[in-house]
Amino acid sequence: MRIFNRIIVVLLLAALVALGIATVFYAFDLAGYRLANLPNALGLTGVVQSFSSFVGNVESGNLNPLDYVVLGAIALLGLILLILELKPPSPRRVRMQEGTYITRSAVRDEVSTATENNPEVLQSDVDVAAQRRPGAKVDVTASVRRGEDTSRLQSEVRNSVQEHLGRVGVPVSNLNVRIAESDPRQTKTRVK
Amino acid sequence: MIDDLQLARAVREAALATTGVHSMGTGRYAEAATYGAGEKVTGVVVDPDEVRVHIVARYPLAEPLPALAERVRERVASRAEGRPAMVVVEDLEVEQNENL
Repeated sequence: MRIFNRIIVVLLLAALVALGIATVFYAFDLAGYRLANLPNALGLTGVVQSFSSFVGNVESGNLNPLDYVVLGAIALLGLILLILELKPPSPRRVRMQEGTYITRSAVRDEVSTATENNPEVLQSDVDVAAQRRPGAKVDVTASVRRGEDTSRLQSEVRNSVQEHLGRVGVPVSNLNVRIAESDPRQTKTRVK
Repeated sequence: MIDDLQLARAVREAALATTGVHSMGTGRYAEAATYGAGEKVTGVVVDPDEVRVHIVARYPLAEPLPALAERVRERVASRAEGRPAMVVVEDLEVEQNENL
């Protein structure tokens, strides 16, 4: 989100620079540019008229419901962007202890290994999120053949992942295991 | 007072001498290294307020990763000129004679 905000700010500043230069020309009637001709030159006569009437209505407090909705939406959008900008970014690495971290990809590899050790699992998709507190949030989707006992497999995969990560010492604060029935022709492994 | 490159070299040496460390990590998205004139020390990032060490652990592990990382951190801290040390485990490298 910070990148999105940065792009918006860069575009805004670029537009302000362009507008500022144009305003200097038009404000001082340089090179034949006159401020009164600006809306015509931009082809925005209608927009300028409606905007000026809108601002006039705002000033006089004479707004229709649509104006309230537009102003409310602008204020809400600004508030959302402000909150997202102020929100501290989520950490990139999984914290183990004070001053010691492990990368998300290393955790992903370990979870994947533990999941695919189960002979019935044909493929695993692992998503690891780091948190500010110690431990990773891990979401595992294990693909199995149709007709397998999914609840048993879910418990087996969960146990093997917990056991493996416990042995390695990677702290996990939240482990979600999902079993997905898949066509073996579309998975990484067809037969084990 | 030693310069950043010397400090990085000392830290790298200390990290690699720790049992259980296979090699230094190289960073994922940005290279983890300290740069000097005509030289770079990979796996150690020396900042004014922190020294960050990227390691690849040897698998199978003789101890859990947090314990290994803590041992590396302790060893490295003594060479970090008073800056806090941070250890990042980037990967686990399986030994060649392990059939995993």
